[in-house]
Parts: sequence; structure tokens; C-alpha cells
Amino acid sequence: MTTTPAIRAVNLVKIYQSGRGLPVPAVRGVDLTVDPGEFVAIMGPSGSGKSTLIHLLGGLDTRTSGEIWLDGKRADTLSESGWAVLRREKIGFVFQFFNLVTNMTVADNVELPALLGGASPRHARERREYLLGELGLTDRAAAAPAQLSGGEQQRVALARALANQPRLLLADEPTGNLDSRNTRDVLKLLSRVHRQGQTIVLVTHDARVAGLADRVVSLLDGEIVDDGAIVRRRGPGGTAGDVVELRG
Amino acid sequence: MASRMIGSAEGRWIRADLRARRGQALLTVLTVAGIVTALIAAATLLEDGTNPWRGLFERGRGAHIWLHTKTVPDVSALKSLDGVTDVAGPYHSAPATLAADRGRKVPISLQEAPAALPAVARPLLSEGRWLDVRHPEGVVVERSFARAIGLRPGSPFTVTGLNGATHTLTVAGLAETGDQGFYPEWAPGLAWTLRQTLTAVEPAPGRTETVTGLRLADPGLTDLIVQRAVFTLHGQVQRVTTWREVRAAMELDNRLLGLLLGLFGVAGLVAAALALANVTGGRVLTQLRDIATLKSLGFTRGQITRMLLVEHGALGLAGIALGVVAAWLITAYALGESGVTPLSPGPHAAITVGTALVVLVAVWLPAWRGGRTPPLPAVPAAPPRGRLSRLARLALLVRLPPALVLGARDAFTRRTPALLTICGVAIPMMMITIGLGCWATLDDFIRHPEGVGQAAALAVRPADLTAEETRERVMADPDVVAAYPGAELDALVPGQTRTVRTRALGTSADPYPFPVAEGRMFRDRGEAVAGQGLLDLLGARVGDRVRITIGGTPLIVRIVGRVIEPEQDGEVLSLGIDSLAAKDAVPPRFYGLVLRPGAEPGEARARLQAQGLEVAQAVNPADRLAVIRVIIVALVVVLALIGLANLLTAGALGLRDHVLDLAVLKAMGLTPRQVMATLVTGTGLLAVVGVLLGGCVGALWSRALIDLEGRHSGVGAGIGRAPTPGMLAAAIGIAIGAALLVALIPARRAARARIPVTAR
Repeated sequence: MTTTPAIRAVNLVKIYQSGRGLPVPAVRGVDLTVDPGEFVAIMGPSGSGKSTLIHLLGGLDTRTSGEIWLDGKRADTLSESGWAVLRREKIGFVFQFFNLVTNMTVADNVELPALLGGASPRHARERREYLLGELGLTDRAAAAPAQLSGGEQQRVALARALANQPRLLLADEPTGNLDSRNTRDVLKLLSRVHRQGQTIVLVTHDARVAGLADRVVSLLDGEIVDDGAIVRRRGPGGTAGDVVELRG
Repeated sequence: MASRMIGSAEGRWIRADLRARRGQALLTVLTVAGIVTALIAAATLLEDGTNPWRGLFERGRGAHIWLHTKTVPDVSALKSLDGVTDVAGPYHSAPATLAADRGRKVPISLQEAPAALPAVARPLLSEGRWLDVRHPEGVVVERSFARAIGLRPGSPFTVTGLNGATHTLTVAGLAETGDQGFYPEWAPGLAWTLRQTLTAVEPAPGRTETVTGLRLADPGLTDLIVQRAVFTLHGQVQRVTTWREVRAAMELDNRLLGLLLGLFGVAGLVAAALALANVTGGRVLTQLRDIATLKSLGFTRGQITRMLLVEHGALGLAGIALGVVAAWLITAYALGESGVTPLSPGPHAAITVGTALVVLVAVWLPAWRGGRTPPLPAVPAAPPRGRLSRLARLALLVRLPPALVLGARDAFTRRTPALLTICGVAIPMMMITIGLGCWATLDDFIRHPEGVGQAAALAVRPADLTAEETRERVMADPDVVAAYPGAELDALVPGQTRTVRTRALGTSADPYPFPVAEGRMFRDRGEAVAGQGLLDLLGARVGDRVRITIGGTPLIVRIVGRVIEPEQDGEVLSLGIDSLAAKDAVPPRFYGLVLRPGAEPGEARARLQAQGLEVAQAVNPADRLAVIRVIIVALVVVLALIGLANLLTAGALGLRDHVLDLAVLKAMGLTPRQVMATLVTGTGLLAVVGVLLGGCVGALWSRALIDLEGRHSGVGAGIGRAPTPGMLAAAIGIAIGAALLVALIPARRAARARIPVTAR
């Protein structure tokens, strides 16, 4: 028996046009399948195309060729509006620079996706109260994003991404702009939602972050060069560096 | 309500955005409200100034048709006519002669009126009291007539009936009416008396006539109802006057005013569109990141466009509503006391709907642009190009301080916004300059009245004296330089059902100094000059011959020149008095008096009046157009505000683009003052370019534009003046100063703020 993958990319290609009209391939024929409940980290050096890939998967950018299947349905042929509707129902996004709507309060930012999805204001408020409570931000509900620290902003962004209980959480360098303490907090939260069954695709160039994932996909020059699950063996004390073993 | 209609997520965002920028939103509302108020108030003033009939007619519930009959008509038959809502009268009316000061005899028309003011065709009492049965000797005199004769409440009113009997009555009050024109355009003058008084003055029923007024539901049906009424009364009707004739008699030659209003209206609308498009566009540009975030959350393109359209459109529409209310308050309270009637529904609706459309179009474009934002929040909005502009390189070459060079570089790195900023400043500046040109033109009218055909400041009518005596007395006055014999007559022109004014002034050998704009002055009998309006009416050109009929006598004249003609919409033919037939020319009806330069016309007039002469002082067109000055000032203020608002937007955008650069500049070691100078140069340079451009184009265009107005209004090209160099320099100086100040405020704040080097 096979389960329907949460997301599946088939021979995905993205080619940008440079300023002089020359084609610049960013993603070159990526095949990727993520199963429900899986936590996949996409790693790679700067310019390897990992951000482009996750943008393509979330429909923020249009693919040049290839197919994207979300929940067993083809998504790459959708219009911009079609993607927008799909995103509000099934995809949560977390960005490196948090991207909270600056003129809205924390509460409004978290309620917005639920309201957009057609929930009643009361339901949206309840959901927001629950999420902010879970993330320890209840007392910051009325604050403006600018009044929060980076870690707090990213936690709000996470709450917003989870507001509609999406099938898929896409995170683009969620800790890239945080100090180590806040990084740790955000990663803890990510593992917690993962344990609750959330499918996550995360882009990072930080090996420690990738270490949380079930599976690490390595990208180089727009192509997958490695794709393997992780098995952890705890060393004594477990602090001097976990041993990571890749199984092909 | 609105938020539920457009989805609660959008409503939430709109509310949050408005909360976050209350001041800016208020400014937008106030700007639009100011423009709408200015437009409506200006239109009201102009309409009232040029068409006093409407206000008088409405306030007095005037009658659209007046039937003059020999005997009392069948009122019930008239009342039952389809379309007639009310009947005024029938009233008796009798001709009489009023003994005015210095033994002058003035024909008047006495008309019966009830002691209680009637509901229809009600005279509007302006001074004194109305007729009273206890004082049957009291009469109420029409105000323009009373003014011309010099009557006030309490003045004696000595009338002589057709039978030669003289009655001494008293002026009880003065009243206005929309049922007949002003004296002396509409003669004879009118006085209301009680029935018994009228009978005493004119006891013979055969010498009175009866007037009956009909008020109509639809004024457009006037002609039809006149026909029906005449038919119903079986040949009883002797003559008919309608509201159209009354209105025409009261109307000023208002084509010039109408055109000017149109010009200013368009200017106001363009300014409103510019202001809104700029504010909305600027806001959307600064919000691109947020908009992209919303899209990544699942907002569709249509939702974003609709959201922005609703938010900014609502601000504009709120401004219109506020402006309409403010204009209503102004016309009702500030202007209402001086008897100004609110604007008629047509122009009112045109202004409201016009601005609403302009608002929606102006907002739609940036909203549509916002909707097309890609949903990728990380992409900065169009990266600035890094190379130095030519201007910056030039600045480096002449060794300007580095802050100026960097500012000059910033100014033009993003071409489109730079162009928009320049236009946003240049267009209001251009309109301000054109407004100043109108001002200079009016000043020129006053300073050089001879340039608009008013070399003669006074016109003297001989009254009881012979023409020769008049001339002698007039020439004896120390201020009078020349006296030109003149006559004004109505002439029939071929192919026209109406008459045009023919003005004979001076002789062919010694012509009055008409301001000839084209061709030459008449030099011989049979030559004439004409205003643009007349040339247009006849389809004639300078050099053509025209045939006119004056009092039954045909006259063929050759038009040898075009003159500036501010009267009668330019539909005036001017010639030497010797070109007229002797019956029309001898003796001259009046003398046009040219005073020595610097003489005060009012004093000369008083001196001549003391000698028993009837003296009229010419009304300068600039005085009639005085309302334009108020409009110019209001428009300049609104336009200046719009220009500054555009600059503020540009400044905010510039800051957004350069937040990162600022951090770098500071890191490089620029002092806060230098950073500030860089930012001020960036915005200020564009403003200076815009101001200079707008000022120059405006100065070049204003003359041509005013001449175009002149041409279309019948006055004729040749009146336009560019703003004086001093005025222009002052306007440019003030504009640049204000622009730099406006650029300074955000720059100062930015230069002192701590700027994060990280996220955009």
C-alpha cells in the first residue's frame, strides 16, 4: 500500500533570465517526494537553488518546466489565484526575515490566514489564542511586530503559518537571522509540531538545523546530489557533536 | 458593514493600515475635500455672479411666463393649462412718468400688488417695508431702478399719469424681483402700488393693461405653453415675456467666466488625480513587502487590488462627501447672508461625479499595480542601479561636496520615480504659474484700461442740455483730455434673429482709441472694427464687408480690424459716428471722456454730476472678474499643498530605497549633517527641476492659454499676459524654499535615527 505523498516534484526546472538575456538555471530537474508527516531538510551552499526550490514548491514562483503534485493533485498548472487559494488552505510559510505584516498587531497577523480561509472571527480568535499560548506569546498579542525581538517575531510567523493547520509547512532559512538561543527555541518548536504529525520542508545551510530532520536533501547547482534519511546515535553526554550517519 | 462585504481578512488589513497612518489618511481626505469645496464654492460664486436671475427667481418663486393683456384674462382657463402649476395675478399695470432729481422725467411702469406678499412671483423686499393699506401713498420700487434714480425708502415719489395729473407718493421700500430685468437694460423701471393707488394715478381703465404670470412645472415647455395660452385667450394677449428674456437681460457676458471656471475645474481635477495617484502609489510602493507577504499567505491578485481600491477609494470618496458638506455649509452660512443661492444641481452633480470618477481612476492604477506584486517577499522592489548619473559625474567634475554628489546620484538612479516626482511638482507649479498669468492679466486690465477698450473712463449723457453745451461743460473740466461723440445702437445682421451692438464712437478722422489687435483702425466712412465674438458670429474675417441694418437703414461697412472687446461677448461692431445715418448720429447720444493720466474717475464724475450731467463710470472687466482672484488664491493654496504632498511621498520613497545606503554612508564616516544633506539633495534636486520646469512651461503657456480663452470667449486674443518676472521669481523662490523644507524634515529624522543594517 502506498500513501499519497504530501508533495511531489517531478523533473522540476527553473531558469531565470539574466539582465543581459542569458538563461540562468537555478533548479535543474529536481525530483523530490515528501511523505505525510516527514521532516525534510534541504541543504546546500549559497546559490545552490534551495530557496528557489522551496518557492516553487509553495507556488511563490513559477516553474519553467516540470510537475508539482500536492496531496495527489497537480498544482503547477494552477493560475496565480489558484495557487493563492491552495496556499491559504494547505501550505504554511515561514521566512528568514519573518515577514510579519508591519501595520498589523501580532494577534491580527496570526488571525489573518484563518480569516482568509473563511473562518469566523470567533474561531480565528480561539485558534490564535491557542497558538500564541502554545508558543508562549499570549502577552504579546496586542504588540506591533516592530516591538518584538527576532526570536519572538519568528515564533509569531510560525504561529501564523500553522493557523490553518496546513498539510505542509515550508520554512526558508527560519533561523538564518536569529542568534543561537532563539535558533534553539524555534527549532524546538519545529520538532514539537513535527512530532504532532506536521509535514515540514525546511531550507537551511546550517548542519545543526538539518540534524533535526528525518531526511536531508543536498542541493548543488540546482541538482540533488544527495538524499538520505538520518539515524542518530547518541554519544556520551551527547554534546560534543552528534554522529550523523547517512544511509543511502 | 464594509468589512463584512469584502471579507473579514481584507477588512482587518484595511483597518490596520488606516490605523497605522491616521495622519496621512486624514491628509488625503482633507486634500480631496479641499479641492471639492474650492470647486463647488467657485462654481457657486461664478454662477451667482454671472446669473443673478436664478437666485432671485427661485427665492421669489417667480413666474416663467408673463402675459400682457388689455382686459382681465380667464384665470381658471390659464390655470387648467397642462404644465401650469400656479398663476400670479392678474395685476393691473399702468405707464406713468416719474419726476426725478433736477427736473428729469423718467418713464416708469406702475404695477398693482396685494398688501400681503403673494406666494408666486413674490417681490423680495430688500429695504424698508412692503405696501400697507393704511398707507396707500406708499410704493415699493424695484431696486436696480431705485439705485439708478437715487431713491431710498422715505424718498418722495412724484408720478404723473397719462391724464397729466400729478400725485405725490412715498417710497415705502425697495424690492428685487426675478420677473423682470435690471434697469436700465430692462426699461421702464418698475414700482409696485396698491390697487387703489394705481386707480388714482390712472383712472381710465382703457389705459391700463393686465399682467398675469404663469409658473410652470417644466421651464423647458415654455414655448409650447405660451402658444396654448395665447390660443386660450383668443387674441387678448398683447405681448408675452418669458423667463429666458429676463435671464438674458440679467446675465453678464459670462462666456469668459465660464471658460475660466472650466479651466480651473479641469486644473483642480487633474490636481486631485495627481495627488491621489501619488499618495496611493507611494503608499503601495512602500507596502510592496507587506503586500507580497499577504500574497504568500494566500491573498489573490484580485483581493489585493480590491482591498487597495476600497481603502484608498473610500478615503477619496470620504473627502468628496466632506467637501460637499463643507461647500454646502460655506454657501449656506458664509455666502448665504449675501444672498448667494446654492449651486444648481447640474454643475453640482458634474463636480461630484467628476471628482468621484477621477478619484476611482487615480486610485485604481496603483491598486492594480499593487495586485500584480509577485508573492516573493524577499525580493527588494527593483534594485537601484549603481552607476553614477551624468549629473552626478558633472557634480564630481566641478568638485561639489560629496554629500551633494551622492544626493545627485540618488536623485536619478531610479528613473521612473524620479520622473514621477518631477511631474508631481512640475504640474502643480505650471498651474500655479498659469494662475499668476491670469492675475497679471487682470492687473493689466486695471492698469491699462485702454488696452481693453476703456480709454474713456466716463460716459456723459446730455440729459436736458444740448450736445454742444454738454461738450463745452465737459471740456472745461481740468481732468478731461478728450470727449468723443458716441451712440450705441442695436443692429440687425444678416442670418441672425437677434441684434448685435453697434458702437459709434469718435469720427473717422478722429477715431476713439480702440485697442486694435489685428488689422488697422478705421480711417474712412464705411470702415469699422469688430470684436472676435462678432467675427465668429458672422463667420467674417478682417477685410470682409458686412451689411447691417440699423433702425431700418441698411449700412454696408468693411471690417478693417479686430479689437479687444470685453463687452457683449465681443459681439460688438465699432465705427466712426460719421459712418452712421444722420438720424442716428446727430446729436450724439453721449460723449466718451478720456481723462488725463493719473486722474481719479470718481472725482471727475462727481464734479461733472454737480453740473447737472448724467455721468456713467466704465466698469473695468477686471472688477467684474474680481471673483476670479479669490479662485486663483484658493487654487494656488490647494495646488501648493498637492505639490508638497507629492514631495512628501517622494521623500518617503527615497528614504525607503536608501535605508541600507544610509547605514553604509554612516559606516563610511559621513556625519549626520552630511547624510541629511545627501537626502535633501536627493529629493530637493528633483523638486528644483520640477519647479523650474513647471514655472517655465507655465510662463510660456499662460499667455497662449489666456489668449485662447479670450478668443473663445469673444473678447479676442491679445489680452493674455505672462506673470511678471518679479511674480514668477517670487513664486519659484517660495516653491523651491518650501520644497527644500519639506525634504528636510524626513531627512533630518532619518539622519539622526539608528538604522539597522539588516533586514529590508
